[in-house]
Amino acid sequence: MTETTATFSYDFPALETVITRYEAKGRAGLLPCLQEIQAQTGWLTPEICRLVGQRLDVPLADIYGVIDFYTLLYREPVGKTVIRVCDDIACYLNGSEEVLATFQKWLGIGPGETTPDGKYTLEVHPCLGYCDLAPMALIGEDVQGRLTPDKVADLLEVK
Amino acid sequence: MAQQTSVLSKRVGKIDPDSLTAYVDSGGFLALRKALTLDPDEIIHEISTAHLIGRGGAAFPAGFKWAAVRRETTSPKYVVCNADESEPGTFKDRYLMEGDPFHIVEALAIAAYAVGANCGFIYVRGEYPLAYQRLAHAVAESRRAGYLGLNLWNTAFCFDIQIYRGAGAYVCGEETALFESIEGRRGQPRLKPPFPTTNGLFGKPTLINNVETLANVPDIVLNGGQWYRTLGPSHNPGPKLYAVSGHVRRPGVYEATMDLTLRELIYDLAGGIPGGRTLQAVLVGGAAGAFLRPDQLDVALGFDTLRDVGTSLGSGAVMVLDDSVDLWKVLRRLTRFFQHESCGKCFPCQLGTQRQAEIVSRMAAGDIRPDDEETLADIGLTMRDASLCGLGQTASSALLSALTQFPLLQQGGGR
Repeated sequence: MTETTATFSYDFPALETVITRYEAKGRAGLLPCLQEIQAQTGWLTPEICRLVGQRLDVPLADIYGVIDFYTLLYREPVGKTVIRVCDDIACYLNGSEEVLATFQKWLGIGPGETTPDGKYTLEVHPCLGYCDLAPMALIGEDVQGRLTPDKVADLLEVK
Repeated sequence: MAQQTSVLSKRVGKIDPDSLTAYVDSGGFLALRKALTLDPDEIIHEISTAHLIGRGGAAFPAGFKWAAVRRETTSPKYVVCNADESEPGTFKDRYLMEGDPFHIVEALAIAAYAVGANCGFIYVRGEYPLAYQRLAHAVAESRRAGYLGLNLWNTAFCFDIQIYRGAGAYVCGEETALFESIEGRRGQPRLKPPFPTTNGLFGKPTLINNVETLANVPDIVLNGGQWYRTLGPSHNPGPKLYAVSGHVRRPGVYEATMDLTLRELIYDLAGGIPGGRTLQAVLVGGAAGAFLRPDQLDVALGFDTLRDVGTSLGSGAVMVLDDSVDLWKVLRRLTRFFQHESCGKCFPCQLGTQRQAEIVSRMAAGDIRPDDEETLADIGLTMRDASLCGLGQTASSALLSALTQFPLLQQGGGR
């Protein structure tokens, strides 16, 4: 693990509430428990993983194994908002390459990178299931479809 | 021309999907209420009579699964709605979940009653936030109003639903990988047999059906299996949702019977190809499907008719490519997709998807070698025959179909 120094302070009572809710389910509560915690903290720190492991009775190695398997779970810091640009066939046919290039230009980062101010992480994804809105991106949990370079600039408020 | 139907999509876009009242006023929960007055075997008989074929991609007869789970004496049993739609080009389940979420709750309850389960799960794709919110709301509202819970309509039937969100893994749409995911593990498929009907979620007998498959159930219960057989061709009965994308004027979800031809879907329903371009190719069935040429547009979009021309209906995804498209760039995306999504559990798929992507990437750059075609065919055959699950078994089908359908080997991408 690199750079695991947390830049935020834990809201322990909030974590405790989530963990307590899933404790009785044991391992079957693992995925939703990690998802809910990550929704608050942005990523899953080693401290969180240890705590969840102890309380849900799951070995730490397995927790890391689960997190690394799923694209939407993070074991490293990510930006406050994750931008997921779809680059699969339907989006590609409708101009996703230009859309992705525009995101890169305005954010000044490449795929998989985070802006220095910690605001955005940019990711390229296979089909996100919104082909009728191609080309599209998920901005956090917000679906943005029929993207154009202009629309991307508006979304990032750089104009 | 084939009949456009409005069975599955009758409420989508017409009622407030968050309103239980609107759902009930439009005939909602009548089917569940009727089901609870029937013997579970009668319901399964109707599903079998209807010849309802699974809509998730594997085309397995639903009645067969239902009867198998019904026969099991182990308890508890579970019912699971597979809402982890992630086949590239597919968005028809999202359309149903966002547009008519209560309908899925009702359908799952009917399935539970029929097979003898009291506990249901819906596993929704992680990248579908709105579908998740609407389903979660529909479950909570149904529970509050007494459509879920103990002793529904004063019968002995008790049923409730838990919703899980996926976390970004295509392979979790494979049924046993989905169980692993709910159980808090990496989503890797299990060796089959044993099948989910005997050893499913938490090792218990489990009925698992796709969203669209389940969405057919309430209407079959209300109108009977014989009625369902009158919709479309009798060997491929019932309404089907087609998700059309790519180079068409009106991309979207269209519902029709399965005698609809590819030409009717692309030109009549989706408005044809824009910008004065002509058609180059159609990818039917998503990344796990196969390419068709412009001279094959008169094929009917049914399970058997598409099998006859060497592709499969799969999930009902139809991606349209005009003559401006560099097919090599499409193939590179397809092979990269499988390389990325292979779970790594079995070697044919883990290694095959990597080698396949490497070779295609090189070919796309213009470097085509004499033995490439044979190597890719060999990798494809190995993956098809020896992979553990559908991901590896279908990972080469679109690529190999493109190589046989189009003169690609003579012209590398070089771009």
